[in-house]
Amino acid sequence: MPRLHLGDWVDSGVDWLVAHMSWLFDAVRAVVEGMYDAIDGVLTAPAPLLLAGILAVLAWWLRGVGAGVLAFAGFALVDSLALWDRAMSTLALVLVATVIALAVSVPLGVWAARSRAVSAAVRPVLDLLQTMPSMVLLIPAILFFGLGTAAGVIATLIFALAPGVRMTELGIRQVDAELVEAAEAFGTTPRDTLLRVQLPLALPTIMAGVNQVIMLGLSMVVIAGMVGTGGLGGAVNEAIGQLDIGFGFEAGVGIVVLAIYLDRMTSALGTQLSPLGRRAAAKVRPTPWTYRPRPAVAVIGVVVLALVAGGTGIFGPSSGTTQASATDVGKGKEIKIGYIPWDEGIASTFLWKEILEERGYKVTTTQYAAGPLYTGLATGQLDFETDSWLPTTHAEYWKKYGKQLDDLGKWYGPTSLELTVPSYVKDVNSLADLKDHAGEFGGKIVGIEPSAGMMGLLKSKVLKEYGLDGSYQVVDGSTPAMLAELKRAYARKQPILVTLWSPHWAYSDYDLKKLKDPEGAWGSGDGVHTLSRKGFADDNPQVGKWLRDFSMTEKQLTGLEAAIQKAGQGREQDAVRTWLQGRPGLVDQWAPVHK
Amino acid sequence: MSPRLETEHLYKVFGRRTDDSVERLRQGADREELRADGTTAAVIDASVRVEAGEIFVVMGLSGSGKSTLLRTLNGLLEPTAGRVRFDGQDLGELTDRELRELRSKKISMVFQHFALFPHRSVRDNAAYGLAVQGVPRAERDRRAGEALALCGLAGWEDSWPDELSGGMQQRVGLARALATDADLLLMDESFSALDPLIRRDMQDQLLELQKTLKKTIVFITHDLNEAMRLGDRIAVMRDGRIVQTGTAEDILLRPADDYVASFTQDVDRSRVLTAAAVMDTDVQGDEADCGCATAAPGTPFTELCALSARLPHPVAVLDANDGVVGVVPRQRLVGFLAEEAGEPLECDGGRKVTARA
Repeated sequence: MPRLHLGDWVDSGVDWLVAHMSWLFDAVRAVVEGMYDAIDGVLTAPAPLLLAGILAVLAWWLRGVGAGVLAFAGFALVDSLALWDRAMSTLALVLVATVIALAVSVPLGVWAARSRAVSAAVRPVLDLLQTMPSMVLLIPAILFFGLGTAAGVIATLIFALAPGVRMTELGIRQVDAELVEAAEAFGTTPRDTLLRVQLPLALPTIMAGVNQVIMLGLSMVVIAGMVGTGGLGGAVNEAIGQLDIGFGFEAGVGIVVLAIYLDRMTSALGTQLSPLGRRAAAKVRPTPWTYRPRPAVAVIGVVVLALVAGGTGIFGPSSGTTQASATDVGKGKEIKIGYIPWDEGIASTFLWKEILEERGYKVTTTQYAAGPLYTGLATGQLDFETDSWLPTTHAEYWKKYGKQLDDLGKWYGPTSLELTVPSYVKDVNSLADLKDHAGEFGGKIVGIEPSAGMMGLLKSKVLKEYGLDGSYQVVDGSTPAMLAELKRAYARKQPILVTLWSPHWAYSDYDLKKLKDPEGAWGSGDGVHTLSRKGFADDNPQVGKWLRDFSMTEKQLTGLEAAIQKAGQGREQDAVRTWLQGRPGLVDQWAPVHK
Repeated sequence: MSPRLETEHLYKVFGRRTDDSVERLRQGADREELRADGTTAAVIDASVRVEAGEIFVVMGLSGSGKSTLLRTLNGLLEPTAGRVRFDGQDLGELTDRELRELRSKKISMVFQHFALFPHRSVRDNAAYGLAVQGVPRAERDRRAGEALALCGLAGWEDSWPDELSGGMQQRVGLARALATDADLLLMDESFSALDPLIRRDMQDQLLELQKTLKKTIVFITHDLNEAMRLGDRIAVMRDGRIVQTGTAEDILLRPADDYVASFTQDVDRSRVLTAAAVMDTDVQGDEADCGCATAAPGTPFTELCALSARLPHPVAVLDANDGVVGVVPRQRLVGFLAEEAGEPLECDGGRKVTARA
């Protein structure tokens, strides 16, 4: 078979779109982000419990007392897990994606229901959108819409579009043909036939579609979290990246609360909106548990709570005290740092966030997966990141994006890549020993992401060098999975062979043994580099100089990492601040200000 | 004077290359040949004339094309060839907008399965046509209420269609059609889905309403008894063609072919026939001089039997001017019931004729 260069065509298609259609993407981005900011602003304005109250009154009105109480309890739980802002940001993201998805899918579904040709054309497109792995669409989405909300919303939207279209089409097709004929026989215009007969009767099915749109949107927030949308999805990603099971569970519970609330509310709304559903609901004998207030009561409840919320917003403590000082170099200038949730990345990122904020900059930090991070940096949406392992581990990224990036130099090194076993594996000390112990490890090397630089190096060079090609198989996976496997084996004292690198917290948590590399197959080790977007140092000469001069000792880095680990999720910056306070003079050393 | 509604050589063919198909049908091809090519000829060369104020019944088995014919009458289906004229206006010349206007004001329709809107109350269903016309709500409700009262549903306005029995639902369907004051009512097997008893009720009610309303009604049915009961004139359709058009008596007494004749076998003749159909018109003019009870040409068959049973001689039939127009011997009544048209035989040697069971 001749090789079909489909991938190349897609590549050049994407390039062309980025080059020529950017005005369109910018417009879409502006609309999406505007909607998101507006909704997020409204959701985060009132005190959490007040908004929980408003949401509970809505649940009470739509479903009854029980639902109201449970809704309040659920949102109070989210607040008590300190996930409120993240949950609201996720809610805003899902709402924006849902609104746009419905604005697109309902008309498309109506059109497909009326024309067999449209239906036949739309169906394969929906199949593609629904089944194409989302990460495949995510990177182009970043190229088109940039990092953050817009790309996340679009990725969510694409996935959630299909059920909206399908259920709308189905609902309209299901309406009894005789009813449509009756409408026509009485001279109804096609438009009124749609609005007065088909849509009202299709409404229950369409609302089931809306429900599915929302649920699929929620299931996508974790994926969207990889491109820096933050929210609960970002929290889950952070937790996965750091093998923080507890925090991951908490964030997951937050998503579940949102999902259940939105699911029950949309299905109840479907009943309320449809005249038939309303009648059916009216026939059910109310119990105290399902007692529902009249709409007027509910509206009054919501308005009162909203007014209270607005009042506290106005009279509440106003934040944002500004203090001018001699060290205010940044004067509020905004700097965006991106990071991958690896320990040295988190430590150095929050270190610089703290330092730069002390110097008067306004710093935002967002976490990404490696691919989106480099894409964002190369397209100038991020200012810098501190965790590139060069020249070896991140060689692929450097090759692809190096021309669009500036290297601000190494701040830590040398690092090392290695294969590692627990110390209780006695007779294996060097890579050369592995050949005879393949059986002990089941012939398996537990690897990380196949895209990682060290995996390429391992497969193409290290195994050959020590003649392990035939006897060992490298298991591709992910860093969290590798660490989880290590943790499991370690707890049972089973032999295990993993890919690992230094610095890594695993070395302080577990008693591990780096296998010696007498042949030097792993190379001489990387330095951890700070990379910035092209021209960042020219735009911010002072920060550029600080970053170029920055370096950390191993003691400093592991100490800071340990402090952050101890402080726990969401308190990284506090940990950095405490750590810096214990080491006076460090800030001035790393970010000197000439008076 | 032109009829209220008229079709001229109407064809309706579904499928591909419909024009070719019409040409082939004109040259005598039959339905089966076309079906092999994947086209369906639903209506073939149908010409009907419906006069103002009459109930015109189109009767045929399912698949005979009667419902398709009905839907060309209000433009729901566009004829492949031929014309439909309503009040002299060719429907094919109307724009979509004009056609909708016509349907909303002058032609209304009653459906087999009622086709009530389940998301509208009984009142709103009855008022639907008026809502389409844009009649203000107060007037719309008043007129819908009147139409419902006319159909015997006063007091049910605020109910919902699914709370009513089948017969009541169809009354709502009828009220919806009457509320717009349309002159032409198209009724598509409107009573077929109802129980036999309810069906009779509805037929009676329709006839009762028609006495005062004098609408022009085209009624589709597959039930010949219903056709005979309701129809001033009846068109019998078979395989897309109209095989006979005439009064109930025409169909019954002078079937156009064996197909129609076989259809009429099960019909209860006593309900259809009148004195005019069974009388012997060979009269002298003095048959009524005895002063016994007489019949009129429109006297129903059953009444005629009752008269005949009380009289020792044939019943005389008088016209409006008391002139004798015919006589009905008892023998003839019995013969019609049994479809035995021959003259009585001579009795053979005093032996009794025994019926062979």
